Amino acid sequence: MKKLFLILFLFCTHDVLSSGAEPCGDYGECDSFNAELRNLESLQLGAATFLNHCYGCHSLQYSRWGRIAKDLEIPEDLFEANLVFGSDVKLGDRMTGSMVKEDSEAWFGISPPDLTLTTRLHGSDWVYTYLRAFYEDASRPYGVNNMVYPGASMPNALSQLQGKQILTCKDVPILASNGGIKRDEMGMDLTEEKCGYLKTLPGTGDLSGEEFDEVIFNLVNFMTYVGEPSRADRERIGWYVILFFVIFTAFAYLLSREYQKDYH
Amino acid sequence: MTEKSTGIFNWIDRRLPILNTYERHLSKHPVPKKVNFWYMFGALASVVLIIQIVSGIWLMMPYQNTEEGAFASVEFIMRDIDYGWVIRYMHTTGASLFFAVVYLHMFRGLMYGSYHKPKELVWIFGMSIYLVMMAEGFLGYVLPYGQMSYWGAQVIISLFGAIPFIGESLELWVRGDYYISGATISRFFALHVVALPLILIALVFMHLVALHEVGAGNPEGVDIEKFLDEDGVPLDSVPFFPYKVLNALVAIGIFGIVFSIIMFFFPEGGGYFLELANFEEANPLSTPDHIAPVWYYSPYYAMLRAVPDKLGGLIVMASAIAILFVVPWLDRSKAASIRYKGILSKIAMVIFVLSWIMLAWLGTVPVTELRTTLSVIGTFIYFGFFLLMPIYTSIEKSKPVPDRL
Repeated sequence: MKKLFLILFLFCTHDVLSSGAEPCGDYGECDSFNAELRNLESLQLGAATFLNHCYGCHSLQYSRWGRIAKDLEIPEDLFEANLVFGSDVKLGDRMTGSMVKEDSEAWFGISPPDLTLTTRLHGSDWVYTYLRAFYEDASRPYGVNNMVYPGASMPNALSQLQGKQILTCKDVPILASNGGIKRDEMGMDLTEEKCGYLKTLPGTGDLSGEEFDEVIFNLVNFMTYVGEPSRADRERIGWYVILFFVIFTAFAYLLSREYQKDYH
Repeated sequence: MTEKSTGIFNWIDRRLPILNTYERHLSKHPVPKKVNFWYMFGALASVVLIIQIVSGIWLMMPYQNTEEGAFASVEFIMRDIDYGWVIRYMHTTGASLFFAVVYLHMFRGLMYGSYHKPKELVWIFGMSIYLVMMAEGFLGYVLPYGQMSYWGAQVIISLFGAIPFIGESLELWVRGDYYISGATISRFFALHVVALPLILIALVFMHLVALHEVGAGNPEGVDIEKFLDEDGVPLDSVPFFPYKVLNALVAIGIFGIVFSIIMFFFPEGGGYFLELANFEEANPLSTPDHIAPVWYYSPYYAMLRAVPDKLGGLIVMASAIAILFVVPWLDRSKAASIRYKGILSKIAMVIFVLSWIMLAWLGTVPVTELRTTLSVIGTFIYFGFFLLMPIYTSIEKSKPVPDRL
């Protein structure tokens, strides 16, 4: 009887607590991403990737050119010569993008969203996983689909670096209901074919798998920075403020204890 | 003090009762000598109120109350204004912690019977503050004009439309337009920064004046006015200054630590303090998959969703707040504090708290059939706690309350 209640309880809590949809769509759980906002080299490389591969379609409309140069410690002359496109752009300008909205709507169906706050909206984990989850799908207008965001209108802008990625099937061990691997009488693991795994076709891209992941890491690191440029500052200052309150509390406590002796 | 400055002070004091007020409400104001940490949240609430007013004034300077400018001006504050992010996170963290502190303060009131005769008006002013805060929080949440601002406002404003006969015109009147637009933002702005704060400050003033008239309570529910010394000061009291001010300073210090940890390291509060969907500008053409209010409304939102009919949901939600106002007359117990009440009150309190937390959580997650059932159960428990209070507090046997603290 006790067991029955336990099962019923577990069943109920599982049903109540599970949120239903997976955070990264068909991909399941997102790959985790830990930003390195003090890693200037990574942020600079990420900025370069963004401006070369993404900025053609996506704006960063709340961010200003000069702020990025200053925060990432890129000398202004180098920054203007290599990363700023358009001679009429001033460093104090907002990065409003170069694509005309009507054109992009005609080309993609929707105009590419502004990316200033994307990492805050979806989370950096999501963006990191999304950018690595494109696969070949002839049924889509640009020949690719995305596991994280099925039906995405975006082409795989970095396919030249990554190469062609396809969905494959592979044999995976069958799991028993208790979580262990099912085995046959000979003690061999039982397997079944499951589909929906991403695989990059070797030799189709300029970079290896690890190199590509690093490019995406730097890119998402930069996007995380752009989402909240003051975050590194915020976390630095925070320690001092907390330290102040700890000292304040300690003295307030000692004083208050001293005065409490009057009436205890 | 020099002779001259005493002269000026006396001149003023004869015309404005500074010394008298200072002595009556601060230096000589008697407060119970033994209270616990639950009695600190009132002081903390006034600290947060000040934080909200000051940070709000500075936010107001660059904020643009237009449909085109609102969202971008918030990002302008976050990026282009030096330390603008400090001001903004102070305000957003303050909003959530204001409610956290006030909920704990209210719970203290329920636990130790801070509404018992003669403190009914203190309680009613407090509940009015809470009601105004809820409106203030809602209006403020619309101002950054993100997706959740827009769709949250859509849900809440449409509730007015459920009121029979006048609903539709009322909805239009609140919104100021046929859909949520710049007209809505600018009127919400005016209400958020001028009208409601004025009312809030007036209510806080009355809450404190009424409290100082009847005297603060204590966890034992002892009436300290029964035993007075020859000067008429309660024997079990100490003057507010410096004793209770020092206690409050410790509480403020600890609160400062908690506040800074959230503000500097977790300003989004895991999506509960700043909802992530609000990092996207309002888009009337795309409804978010899941519309959830900020955590401090969520128990009442869960009740709203528990009722299939819109008007019914509105009535349930409004009654849930309204019933708090009459608690002083629902509690028939002789003891004020839960410490001396009977077992029924204690059980009821535990079940009430658990179901309130469950409702708070249910209000933030997408609905399923089972969750709706749980919301219905939670709603019944919520109302049961209050409506059955006259019964269980009068049939149970409470322990005798001691005379002294």
